[in-house]
Amino acid sequence: MAEEKDFITIGEAAEILKVSIDTLRRWDKSGKLSSTKTSEAGYRLYYKPQVKIFLNELFGLAKDWVLKETKLSPEFYCSNSAVFQTRLIQMQDVLMAIPRLSNIFSLVVAVAGEIGNNSFDHNLGNWPDVAGVFFMYDIHKRNIILADRGVGVFATLKRIKPELNNDEEALRVAFTEIISGRSPESRGNGLKFVSKIVAENPIGLVFQSGDAELTLTKDNSDLNIKHSPEPFRGCLALITF
Amino acid sequence: MKIELKKFGTTLISRQNGREAFAAFQSQLTALDENENLELDFEGVITFSPSWGDEFLSPLLKKYNERLVLINANNPSVKATLELLAKINQKPFIIR
Repeated sequence: MAEEKDFITIGEAAEILKVSIDTLRRWDKSGKLSSTKTSEAGYRLYYKPQVKIFLNELFGLAKDWVLKETKLSPEFYCSNSAVFQTRLIQMQDVLMAIPRLSNIFSLVVAVAGEIGNNSFDHNLGNWPDVAGVFFMYDIHKRNIILADRGVGVFATLKRIKPELNNDEEALRVAFTEIISGRSPESRGNGLKFVSKIVAENPIGLVFQSGDAELTLTKDNSDLNIKHSPEPFRGCLALITF
Repeated sequence: MKIELKKFGTTLISRQNGREAFAAFQSQLTALDENENLELDFEGVITFSPSWGDEFLSPLLKKYNERLVLINANNPSVKATLELLAKINQKPFIIR
């Protein structure tokens, strides 16, 4: 039987799933993710293991791959940029057919495209071990997961900004600072696009590289970057929509 | 001269594809008269991103300035991309 400590509040569940409390209330009402019971004071309580499963087995698979180089099923893996483009267009066709997403599907695809293409652009000829990206989406859970075992944002940006000291500073620059046309390389503005799109639309993003984890949500232009207890070299992104 | 971007594809997202499109486009550009506008039509483009746009549009903006005219640029991903590219290039696009 589940113990009391296995039940968490709606606020804690929202934090784990990186969605708002209002979203969870809507999901509870629609049955998409139901609260398990009500506390004595009348608050919704969620069974923590269920929340984690809901979050995604896919996310766990991607994380295991970046942390431990576990074997990946070919359906999750794009070995090169051409495979990624093909699968991205397939995802675009699926999202385009969902009426609810008619205003944002092109933005969701563009965001996923920028993050995935960044992995290829910044690691071409320089992959430390396995080349390519993990790319998978779940239409029912409304999320997209991307990951790579590349050099990571800090190592990439340090080439053009040697003054950077750590992963957190690198993520902050990557998501906020526009690198102008005078810079030695033109690449590197894709994540600014991502942060702008997420801040202005009902799209969420969790992005980890090294030991820094960034969370971005709509109407919140402040970058929430925290230290991750499980650092790894490449990048891992969860897009929710 | 009017160019339909959808002829390069309707999902225009990677740098690599943007570079290829730009290279392929050079032969058509030779037919552009000295004072003629270069009109790029986004009609039919489904998804557009800064990576593709930076490889294709940024060099055209630098070269042709206000002679580069963009039309049917209402798609949300096109609009958002153009805003960012204008900032990167420190130059606005003419959009009609």
